[in-house]
Amino acid sequence: MSVESPFIISIPQESLSLLQQKLRLASFPDELDDAGWDYGAPLTDIRRLVARWSNGYDWRYHEAQLNTELPQFTRDIDVGGHGALNVHYVHKKSDAEYAIPLLFVHGWPGSFFEARKLLPLLTRGSPDHPSFHVVAISLPGFGFSEAPRKKGFNLDQYAEVCNKLMLSLGYNEYVTQGGDWGFIITRRMAHLYGPKYVKAWHTNFPGGTPPSLLGQPLSFLTMLFHFLFPSFNPQMQAGFDKTQKFMQSGSGYNAIQSTKPQTLGYSMADSPVGLLAWIYEKLVVCADGYAWDDDEVLTWISIYWFSRAGPTAAARIYYEVGGGNTQKLGELMGTPEYTASIPHGISRFPGEVAILPKSWAKSNRKVVFDREHERGGHFAAYERPVEVCGDLREMFGRGGPAFGVVKGRDGYNS
Amino acid sequence: MSTENAFQISVPDDSLSLLRQKLALVSLPDELEDAGWEYGVPLADIRRLVDRWANGYDWRHHEALLNAELPQFTRDIPVDGHGTLNIHYIHKKSDTKTAIPLLFVHGWPGSFFEARKLVPLLTQNSEHHPSFHVVAISLPGYGFSKAPSKKRFDMDQYAEVCNKLMLALGYDEYVTQGGDWGFLITRKIAHLYGPRHSKAWHTNFPGGQPPSLFTQPLDFLSMLINGLTAKEKEGLQRVQHFIATGCGYSAEQGTKPQTLGYSLADSPVGLLAWIYEKLVAWTDQYPWKDDEVLTWVSIYWFSRAGPAAAGRIYFEVGEGEPAKQMARFSAHESTSIPLGISRFPGEIVCFPKSWSKNLGKIVFDREHDGGGHFAAYEKPEALSGDLRDMFGQGGPAFGVVKGRNGYD
Repeated sequence: MSVESPFIISIPQESLSLLQQKLRLASFPDELDDAGWDYGAPLTDIRRLVARWSNGYDWRYHEAQLNTELPQFTRDIDVGGHGALNVHYVHKKSDAEYAIPLLFVHGWPGSFFEARKLLPLLTRGSPDHPSFHVVAISLPGFGFSEAPRKKGFNLDQYAEVCNKLMLSLGYNEYVTQGGDWGFIITRRMAHLYGPKYVKAWHTNFPGGTPPSLLGQPLSFLTMLFHFLFPSFNPQMQAGFDKTQKFMQSGSGYNAIQSTKPQTLGYSMADSPVGLLAWIYEKLVVCADGYAWDDDEVLTWISIYWFSRAGPTAAARIYYEVGGGNTQKLGELMGTPEYTASIPHGISRFPGEVAILPKSWAKSNRKVVFDREHERGGHFAAYERPVEVCGDLREMFGRGGPAFGVVKGRDGYNS
Repeated sequence: MSTENAFQISVPDDSLSLLRQKLALVSLPDELEDAGWEYGVPLADIRRLVDRWANGYDWRHHEALLNAELPQFTRDIPVDGHGTLNIHYIHKKSDTKTAIPLLFVHGWPGSFFEARKLVPLLTQNSEHHPSFHVVAISLPGYGFSKAPSKKRFDMDQYAEVCNKLMLALGYDEYVTQGGDWGFLITRKIAHLYGPRHSKAWHTNFPGGQPPSLFTQPLDFLSMLINGLTAKEKEGLQRVQHFIATGCGYSAEQGTKPQTLGYSLADSPVGLLAWIYEKLVAWTDQYPWKDDEVLTWVSIYWFSRAGPAAAGRIYFEVGEGEPAKQMARFSAHESTSIPLGISRFPGEIVCFPKSWSKNLGKIVFDREHDGGGHFAAYEKPEALSGDLRDMFGQGGPAFGVVKGRNGYD
């Protein structure tokens, strides 16, 4: 029986010192004239952020805020073939007696931090909408969780940790919300642990499998028609173009992390500037015009810099789940192996990096909720918490398509 | 008329000191149990190299050796649309006055340093083989050359710099040797400046395309009927493996070189790992000595433009899309001058011989038993032997350069 320990983020003074020493010695590259964002994160942005990080940014202040807002814990979770990993998580209970247990699963370069704004919204009790007990896990290798020590910590293992965590908290039935790796992991959880444990799942990173002629004839014909007459559906074309652009010119990080995460890891572990640029580029490019505040960025990235396993470990998920080569990751957006019948909800944000036709997510999932939004990008829970929360409340609330999926916990007080 | 300045590598004390300070603060990552080389460079290798770099490796000693062995110069070269770039190069003349002028063009993560062992062999004069005046350029953004400051410095521009350098040195006609980016650049030189200036080209990194029914009907049919030889299959499997598992560096450099550049400019250990991985993966069991690796990487660390600039060539050539990069490598460029090929089994891209037929006017094609991607550095005798055979008396490219056949 795993034992829970309360957790307070408390970075040793030495670590803060070392960061400062490194920042003081920061060496910057040059930049081409008028490079803008074409070649990566612009030099002025990085210089400004480094200057702030080294002078003015107050980690202790933000650390204290996080500790105040987010009740955190750690516990050992045993993973088959990998021993026990000490897992860090946020666990905030609602005041509503029968709140729905919800597991929030982040991705890369995300963390438990992404759930920060969602938490107060989801846990608020009201007669007018359901509320949730929220668990935001730090995936192994991220945040303040231990990292796997052995090779082969694959999708099933991530799913296992997540499920075991919820069970150990007494949540025998629960629902999930995830984007990025969180989508891939919660989909696996739906397959492995639904409907026994996982009763419904929601995502903001829908992905999807192209329809096949035999499987989904109408969708398939629509797709063919679209390829023959792309101007007929400019919105779908725009989606494909965006996805293609991302695959062609925005996925270098994916290629290196899926093949040589250790080689890349030496830079990430040694250079806070390098780590900052690596992540900041994604924060800006993958969000939808989100007005990042410098201190916000620095807190996000400091969580990586000060993470328990160090900044190198996080990227290994790409290698392990991607099979150590660059071919497989594209497939993961689709549905390799999925035979779950539990209700699925989708929230679509226009700034997402991959936009596929809506029908592609329906091919083998029981989609009961599908809403498009006008604004928001990849980090939906962080950029548009009100919308994400609104969608979850509607999906799980009275009259909603997934109302009452968790026995005895419909989200209300009575 | 550009003027030449003699150049000695003389890294400022401040730079050495900063490197030492960074190494003293180095933070190393963890590693999975039994990771070996699967996830990238092993921790034990990096630890050992970093310790040596911080304690014991003597840059000044190696700097002095390089200055003693390799006569170096800089000169301003104007490039259309890009202003003037100050270019660093080695220029070693043979005692044979009528030696053949040869331009050696490196790639990534190479540098002028790759020509180190080739230079004494090629410039050696003898009645039994031709000799060469060797120019080893530091491409813009590499070694001690300035980097371009504007966008879109592409193959045409690299070729232009190279050609202008040779002309500025009084070599109105010359030959070239190149691998990696050096292959694409010397092919561009052959295309743009041959046969007027570039008289012949030699490569150890032949690109090429599968034969099609239209370009090489017999080879195409033969491939369909007979398939590939076991050796050819193995070569293609290695290419497949390289593309699937070894091209992350190229995908990142080809799309976000600036983002990556912050790491490479700020972390010597990050730069070391990034390059060392290829020094080992791309060579054919070359017994690297730690100091050798550190000198190679130090040239990047102390480079004039800084370590971030070198990767931009990937972006420019592919216009920000890695697929386009690969297409450029395989695309056909018409050339009419004699071409020589040396094939080394450890090369990362080993296409079947029939795929090179369209590369150009192949007059020399030799396969070797050992050696990899950095052929000039790993197998200087083999490579210089091939060049001597190609350009020597009785050879298929003898006398291509008017009045300079390589003999007294």
